[in-house]
Amino acid sequence: MNSGMWQALSPLLALSGGTVVLMLQIAFHRNPRWSVAITQLSLLLGAGLLLWLWPGSDYQSLLLRVDGYALLLNLLFILAAAVTCWLSPAYIALRSEQSGEFFLLLLLATIGAMILAQAVHVASLLLGLELLGVALYALIAYPDRSLLPLEAAVKYLVLSGAASATLLFGFALAYAGTGQLAFTGLSESLALAGSGAYTLVMAASVMIICGLAFKLSLVPFHMWTPDVYQGAPSPVTGFLATVSKGAVFAVFLRAFLETGAYQFPIILNSLAAIAVASMLVGNLLALRQDNVKRLLAYSSIAHMGYLLIVLLVCSDPANHDLAVEAALFYLVAYTVTTLAAFAVLTWPGYEQYQGPEHTELKHLSGLLWHHPLAGLLMLVAMLSLAGIPLTAGFVGKFYLFSAAVTGPHWLLLGSLVVGSGIGIYYYLRVVYYLLRRDDNHALLPNAGWHESCLAVVLLAAVLGLGIAPQSLIGWIQSIL
Amino acid sequence: MNALWLVPLLPLISAVILILGSAWLGRRAVAVLGVGSVGLAALLTARVVTAFLGSGEASTQVLWTWMAVGDFSVQVAAWFDGLTAVMMSVITGVGFLIHLYSARFMAEDDSYARYFAYLNLFVAAMLVLVMADNLLLLYLGWEGVGACSYLLVGFWYKDVANGAAARKAFIVTRVGDTAMALGLFLILAELGTLNIQSVLQLAPGHWATGDTMVVLATVLLLGGAVGKSAQLPLHTWLPDAMAGPTPVSALIHAATMVTAGVYLIARTHGLFLLAPTTLEIIAWLGVLTALLAACSALVQTDIKRILAWSTISQIGYMFLALGVGAFGAAIFHLVTHAFFKALLFLAAGAVIYCLHHEHNIFRMGGLRSRMPVTFVSFLLGASALAAIPFTSGFYSKDVILLAAWQHDPLLFVAGLCGAALTAFYSFRLLFVAFFGPAQQEPDRTIGWVMAVPLGLLCVGALAGGALTLPLTDVFPPAIGVVNHTIEYIAITVTLAAVGLAAWRYLRQRPDPASGGLREFWFAGWRVDALYELLWVRPYCWLAKRTQGEPVDHLYNGIVALARANHRTLSALQTGQLRWYATGMVFGLVVLLAVLMRAAL
Repeated sequence: MNSGMWQALSPLLALSGGTVVLMLQIAFHRNPRWSVAITQLSLLLGAGLLLWLWPGSDYQSLLLRVDGYALLLNLLFILAAAVTCWLSPAYIALRSEQSGEFFLLLLLATIGAMILAQAVHVASLLLGLELLGVALYALIAYPDRSLLPLEAAVKYLVLSGAASATLLFGFALAYAGTGQLAFTGLSESLALAGSGAYTLVMAASVMIICGLAFKLSLVPFHMWTPDVYQGAPSPVTGFLATVSKGAVFAVFLRAFLETGAYQFPIILNSLAAIAVASMLVGNLLALRQDNVKRLLAYSSIAHMGYLLIVLLVCSDPANHDLAVEAALFYLVAYTVTTLAAFAVLTWPGYEQYQGPEHTELKHLSGLLWHHPLAGLLMLVAMLSLAGIPLTAGFVGKFYLFSAAVTGPHWLLLGSLVVGSGIGIYYYLRVVYYLLRRDDNHALLPNAGWHESCLAVVLLAAVLGLGIAPQSLIGWIQSIL
Repeated sequence: MNALWLVPLLPLISAVILILGSAWLGRRAVAVLGVGSVGLAALLTARVVTAFLGSGEASTQVLWTWMAVGDFSVQVAAWFDGLTAVMMSVITGVGFLIHLYSARFMAEDDSYARYFAYLNLFVAAMLVLVMADNLLLLYLGWEGVGACSYLLVGFWYKDVANGAAARKAFIVTRVGDTAMALGLFLILAELGTLNIQSVLQLAPGHWATGDTMVVLATVLLLGGAVGKSAQLPLHTWLPDAMAGPTPVSALIHAATMVTAGVYLIARTHGLFLLAPTTLEIIAWLGVLTALLAACSALVQTDIKRILAWSTISQIGYMFLALGVGAFGAAIFHLVTHAFFKALLFLAAGAVIYCLHHEHNIFRMGGLRSRMPVTFVSFLLGASALAAIPFTSGFYSKDVILLAAWQHDPLLFVAGLCGAALTAFYSFRLLFVAFFGPAQQEPDRTIGWVMAVPLGLLCVGALAGGALTLPLTDVFPPAIGVVNHTIEYIAITVTLAAVGLAAWRYLRQRPDPASGGLREFWFAGWRVDALYELLWVRPYCWLAKRTQGEPVDHLYNGIVALARANHRTLSALQTGQLRWYATGMVFGLVVLLAVLMRAAL
């Protein structure tokens, strides 16, 4: 129990403290404004502590490791949570009796995500995953005045439970084969284990991959994605799409590298197959989708497929740094862009009814003319997802390309190119709707300074990362 | 020196503001923004250049690092040496004067903001072109100025002819640009870099003098230069480009953009020195263009078309200088030409402004006493163009003729003929438009806003010859012995041509009679008709034959394939939990089965 440990864990403790305070506040004095304030304050405190730790921290315990990688991702998750918290109050107030607990769950889910980014042990991985997952079930079902969120939550709960069980079974097999549960320990034992343990450990790896692939909605574990994206309240969908997936990917990448799983061709081949399938199936499913949230769900399948390329590239030690850089930049770019898209979908006006959300393409029709700021944000988000230059998405995709061409990954590169090509079609379809003129708009969005501020910040982030990515690239390079 | 990046940025920002705010910016605000941004850029340039002249050291300055991924780095960097300093000074200095002039010239136009937005954008792109430290960025500026030229030639787009002229300018230069792009690819493939300084350093080690590859690369680059600088055989667009507003002709089609080709060759002169064949081609192309264009200028009646043909001819002289290895002389003539040709265009603009858009010089006349400021400007401009002694044009043309003499007397003789023609047509223009009986009365005055740029350019046209350009470190020395005999011959020929013009056009006013040769020259040696026959008609024929778009079937097939796959996959998204769970189990089982097969 030295001071280094307290320092390294202080961001997590700040958020945990925030949940306790929030819980007490809800118990004694319900007031949505207070809840939001407490949530934002603890997120702010957490972010401040992360920056204070920056970048020298390299704390390692049996369960957690707080290094530059974890710090950067934790900061990203906290910022994403802050954006979600900024978006949610008006939305939740319209759709449910009480809104205090929503923020409590949000904080808990963020803590889970942060633990995942720091996890170096199977136990902490599971802890983080379940903390995140259980909080998300409740968040998805939070609006109690309609059935769609409930349906989405149940689907997610059941399937996620199945995935977790698969994952646990995989861990059990790995333990049976090697007697280890820490990532580095697994790697040492793998090297020593004879051929008898080999099959056992490979079966374990495949099951673990399946469990994590579900969370990342990779093909063929992707089917839940559109239903949950559509049913969940928009701010929660944004959170799910960015923080949840980012955290699972973070731990996936770390486990992949530290357990030495990259040495086994069978694992690499499985991952390559999953990546190719995700890139193609995700994009094809999105092709003629009319609901923006479902469209984003399918597109996220493809984007996670793109990200998997990184895992295959970093199996070669020479390209390891470039690949991790690419992954981190891509995650940041994807998170910012996706949050921008969901911020528009949460925009008041689309959400002023308590009934179902209005997220069909036709509801976005002519948005750029009726509400330039919201329209511009959506436009830029779509261009960024499509990977058009001078947006964050382009630099991210370029990074992936330059990482992938370092090795013999032609099939993956080909799928990336084909997938991106298909992607441009449906992203531009949204842009086409945004730009339509001849529509008499039934839902006029009206936004106060609250939404406008956020929109300006997100717009600046997406464009800033595209125009001057070097600042972030330099940051990432400095921590690796 | 660290303010360098602001120089292209200021006009760019102003252009963006003008484009976005055209609806609510007042005319005064538009003028202040449009003229002020370029003026500020000119002041900054003056500061930067002064600092440079003090130290005299060329340097690379990274303006902006877009991204550095692995070994790949995209940097926007400027190479600043004497040549950059000269070009930036011309662009911002002359550019500012022309912007100022435009503030009044275009004052009654409905699209005032659009005009200044394009003009500012042009200045920004032109600055990028001359500041770029690598050929790719240079190409960005190159295409940028091309686009602005297109926009400004077709500025009055409601007249169909103007749109056609703009398209012609764009498409003809595009032919050259394509050649240039191929040249860039070739250089990249051969040398592995597009950074200009690295290319110049690597080239002598990579290629022997006269190597086929370096000849090919330089010829391709020359293709780009020929297109942009309106030299044979891609010169046909420039006379038509006069459809744009007159200040645009002064800035883009006389002072700056059309000389970009000269700049390109001067900037990459290290490559061209390795390819003597290409240099020979350049010299002969230049002198041939100078002669043919001067002949066409001789018989034109439209004041702007005379100046346009004259521009083609004068750039021919610059190419001649490049071809004989006198790069410094080419840039010197570029600078003096920028002064006196901008002056001539602006003076012509003043005439057009005051005479209800009259372009025909035979319907002018007697303007000497009615528009004294314009007359003096025109007189000085024409003198410099004709290379009358002690004007700027005299000094710069003299150096070129001298270099040509030392290279090949035949080139000198051709150049001398061109000089005589130049002197003749410049004074023909002056005498017909400003002397003789008055035909029309000017109905408005030019005011100080237009008079000040004219006055300052007069000073430039007169005294520009006294400038010493800081180019000694950039180019190898070219001229050995100064030969005064050449000078005297040139002076004699020029003065004789002026006398001939006076004799023919001051005594009487011969009408532009028709005749075989005259019409042939008037139509620019009928090159347009030739191209129509050679290229346009076969192309249209081919386009008609492929109207059914047979290639489209391939793309339609791809679309059908994507849609079919989409339908199949969508059918799997049933919304049923049990089905989704089955999907997961399926994935797990397949992966495990593959594993077992591999393991057992």
